[in-house]
Amino acid sequence: MTADSFLFFFLAFVTLVSGLAVVLLANPIYSALCLAMTMVGVAGLFVTLNAFFIAGVQLIVYAGAVMVLFVMVLMLFDLRHELAAFTRGKFTGTVKIATVGLLAGLIVGAIMMSSGMLSDRSAQASDVLKTGADTTKDLGTLLFTKYVFGFEALGVLLLVIAIGAVSLARSKGGTHAKH
Amino acid sequence: MLSTDIINNVGLNHYLVLSALLFVTGMAGVLLRRNIIVILMSIELMLNSVNISFVAFSKYMGDINGHIMVFFVMTIAAAEAAVGLAIAVSIFKRFREVNIRFFEHLKG
Repeated sequence: MTADSFLFFFLAFVTLVSGLAVVLLANPIYSALCLAMTMVGVAGLFVTLNAFFIAGVQLIVYAGAVMVLFVMVLMLFDLRHELAAFTRGKFTGTVKIATVGLLAGLIVGAIMMSSGMLSDRSAQASDVLKTGADTTKDLGTLLFTKYVFGFEALGVLLLVIAIGAVSLARSKGGTHAKH
Repeated sequence: MLSTDIINNVGLNHYLVLSALLFVTGMAGVLLRRNIIVILMSIELMLNSVNISFVAFSKYMGDINGHIMVFFVMTIAAAEAAVGLAIAVSIFKRFREVNIRFFEHLKG
C-alpha cells in the first residue's frame, strides 16, 4: 500500500466514521463535534486532490465559522429533555433506511458502470491540476475575470444574509423571552 | 490482481464512491433525525460530500471550474447555515422545542 492510498483510505475512514457519528449520536453537542471532525477530514481529502486553497477555505469557513455558529445555537437551547430525537415508528424508519440504501446502491452502481468512460478522459488532465502547482493562482484569475459577477452577487447575498439572520433571531430576551 | 489494484491506485472512482456514501449518510440524518439542529448538520454533510465530488472531477478532468463551483457552494452553505440557525432560534422561542414533530404544520 503506497503512501498516497494510505492517506486516502485513512481520511476516508475518518470522514465516514465521523459522518455516521453525526447522524447516530443522540447528544447534539457530540454531533457538532463529529461534524467538525468530518470537516477536517474533508479538508484533508481536498489536500490529497491538490486543491490547497479550497482546503484552507474549508477549514476556516466550516471547521471555524459554521461550527462556532452551530455550537453557539446549541448552547442557547436547553436540550436536556431532547436527547433521543430519532424518528418514531418502525415501518417509516425501515422505509427511510431502505430508500437511503437504494440510493447508495444506485449511485455506486452508476459509478462502477461508467468507470471505463471516466478513466479514459482522466488521462488528458492538464499538468497544472495534476501537480497542483498554480491552482490557487488560476482560481483567483478565473474568479475575478469570468465569474466576477457571481462573486459580487455572492458578496451582496452575504450582506443580506447577515442582516436577515440578525433580524430573524433578534428579540428582547434572546431565547429565554417570555411570551 | 484486481483487489490490490483497487487498494493501491486511488482514482476518481474512489472519491466518487466516498462522496456518495457521505451524501447518503447525510440524507439518512435528514430523514431519520427529529432534532432541527442535527438536520441542519446533516444538510452540511450532504453539501460537503458534493464538494468532494466536484473537486475530484476537477482534478481528474483537468478543469479548474470545479474549484470555483466548490467556492460558491461553500459560501452559500455558510449563508444557509446562518439563516437556518436563525430560523431555528426563532422557532425555539415560539415553541420551546427543537423536535420537528412539534411544528411540522408550521402553524403559529
